Amino acid sequence: MIKSLLIANRGEIAIRIARTAKRMGIKTYAIRTKKEPNAVYLQKVDKVVDFPDTGSQVPEFLDIKNLVKLAVDNNIEAMHPGYGYLSENPDFAAACREAGIVFVGPSPEIIHALGDKIVAKEIAKRSNVPMLGGTLGGIPTAEEAIAEANRIGYPVIIKAATGGGGRGMRICRKEEEVSINYELCTQEARTAFNDPTVFIEKYLENPKHIEVQIVADKYGNVIHLGERECSIQRKHQKLIEEAPSPALDEALREKITGAAVRLAQEAKYESLGTVEFLLDANHNFYFMEMNTRIQVEHPVTEMITGLNLVELQLLIASGEKLPVSQSDVKLNGWAIECRINAEDVQAGFTPSIGMIKNLRLPSNNCIRIDSGVRVGTEITPFFDSMIAKLIVHGQTREEAIKIALHSLGHFVVTGVKTTIPFDKAVLHNEVYRKGDFNTSFIETCMDSLVWHEEHEELIAALLAVSYYNHDSDFSGDSSEQPEPNVDPWVLQKRIRHL
Amino acid sequence: MDNNSENVQNRTLIAVGENGERNYEFQVKNQYEFSSKGRKLKVEMIEEADGINLFSCEGVRYPVEIVSVKQNTYEVVVNGVTYRYTVETPFSLKRRQILAAQKPVNENEELHAPMPGKIVTVHVKAGQDVNPGDPLIVLEAMKMQNTLTATSKGKVVAVNVREAQNVSKDDLLVEIKKA
Repeated sequence: MIKSLLIANRGEIAIRIARTAKRMGIKTYAIRTKKEPNAVYLQKVDKVVDFPDTGSQVPEFLDIKNLVKLAVDNNIEAMHPGYGYLSENPDFAAACREAGIVFVGPSPEIIHALGDKIVAKEIAKRSNVPMLGGTLGGIPTAEEAIAEANRIGYPVIIKAATGGGGRGMRICRKEEEVSINYELCTQEARTAFNDPTVFIEKYLENPKHIEVQIVADKYGNVIHLGERECSIQRKHQKLIEEAPSPALDEALREKITGAAVRLAQEAKYESLGTVEFLLDANHNFYFMEMNTRIQVEHPVTEMITGLNLVELQLLIASGEKLPVSQSDVKLNGWAIECRINAEDVQAGFTPSIGMIKNLRLPSNNCIRIDSGVRVGTEITPFFDSMIAKLIVHGQTREEAIKIALHSLGHFVVTGVKTTIPFDKAVLHNEVYRKGDFNTSFIETCMDSLVWHEEHEELIAALLAVSYYNHDSDFSGDSSEQPEPNVDPWVLQKRIRHL
Repeated sequence: MDNNSENVQNRTLIAVGENGERNYEFQVKNQYEFSSKGRKLKVEMIEEADGINLFSCEGVRYPVEIVSVKQNTYEVVVNGVTYRYTVETPFSLKRRQILAAQKPVNENEELHAPMPGKIVTVHVKAGQDVNPGDPLIVLEAMKMQNTLTATSKGKVVAVNVREAQNVSKDDLLVEIKKA
């Protein structure tokens, strides 16, 4: 087993990794950056190392050279990249290997192969996994793009082979659009990803997004841990996930998980991974891509399998055999994850920046909260807006929804606005509750993006009136004095004087 | 009870919704007793040990936050949802309605940066006509790209930023003369 671990990440995932690693007897290290020297994750590890003052513009958790150097200088055996940042960067995995550090994830070769969408498609083809038609290679000219698009049938999508994050993709709905989109996409791919290669595939309108969790060791053992439903998305950002998916029956589950396992075997995959599929209205599924890291939404899988995915990841990285076989994996009940982001939903999901003034977390036996903040934490524009994840478990989907709503009702954050009222609106939505929704859900099925509790508007009006009433009572017509950002403490004092 | 309470007894206050909320009229009995449409509403503000303010109405408690007060306009958060109300007396409401009727609605729209960040794309230039919903600026913050759109029909008078520029919260980005 590895004895020490540098966590090259921050926030809730750094805390989540440290929790398991410490329990396994691994000495954990976190990295302190100048941007958040008092962050919560720094308190949850055995030792904190400072990121060196490099004067570089490269964000700390993207700085391969200095991250590897930190591990080497402090004699740390292994590196965990978490999600995002360098977690799917083959150069990082390679730099770790060269420095003699165990990278917690697959080999650089596997990360590279699956990161190239054309290579990934070749692997999918060899493992007989369905795809959205399209080519098995790059398209060299606009003429060939048109011919291929006509063969597939419209709409089609042109994608950069090494693209990601929603960039380098263009949809064509008729033949006249192919040529110009081909040129634009090629240019974009060259400038953004340093590789002009593009390919074409069928574009699926409003699919469901289903992904399968894979675990594989270094000895050829590959198992799946069921699927996750991730169709509640806004601009390709997942907001609510669940496991299992209400869209699958047993037969389809067997097919889709079987396809994921075949693909992982063909790729000679090792470590944790996620195979993403699109599912159409007729229950046909198509391979989209494979992610070679731990996912934000991994806790829903942990809730229904009882397995600890970070533990499995660390065991595999240490060269251990998978401690469970496929027949040991039992899916139990239903889990839902609600992401709680510091965003102002009513202002179009704009990031909400400021200090967390109060934080009250719900607690009961069926929930788990993974969070990286506390009272006093500054939410800055430097980092991702996710501040916490609420994960609930119920025996049925209906029960899980009920527990989630109850828990969200007792989750209070002040100082910044959060997506809690949005999460409530989704969980109350009839279409969501029936379980038949796809990636267009937010645009097409929601009348209101926030949930208003009963009498809430009246209460808000009454609060304003009662505040005005105190105010005008004590200092004459103070309503003429602008008083921005009144601290609730001041309000409190005034009310105490009643 | 304090001595001033008589001044406010039985006066009427109207909460005017500024963001599409409905208006509510309240009769004020004293500091903590109100009524609306004949229904008595007894309120209380409770500060919990963890610092959270609960606004209690007829015994039901709501976590609340007063985000800002500008003159008699209050931005309040109840259960995490934002509401904006201006509190008026019957007299000031009438004055407001008369002023609104007299003043032609032709103020300029000013687009301010809702948060600090970096300008990714400028979609418009001075002299250009825009409609509600048209993208004006793409601002990047927290690794997210936020498209800021026009809220009214008009003509762009000035664009005060360029692409790749860093901006602070509330910086004036685009000015639009309403049509």
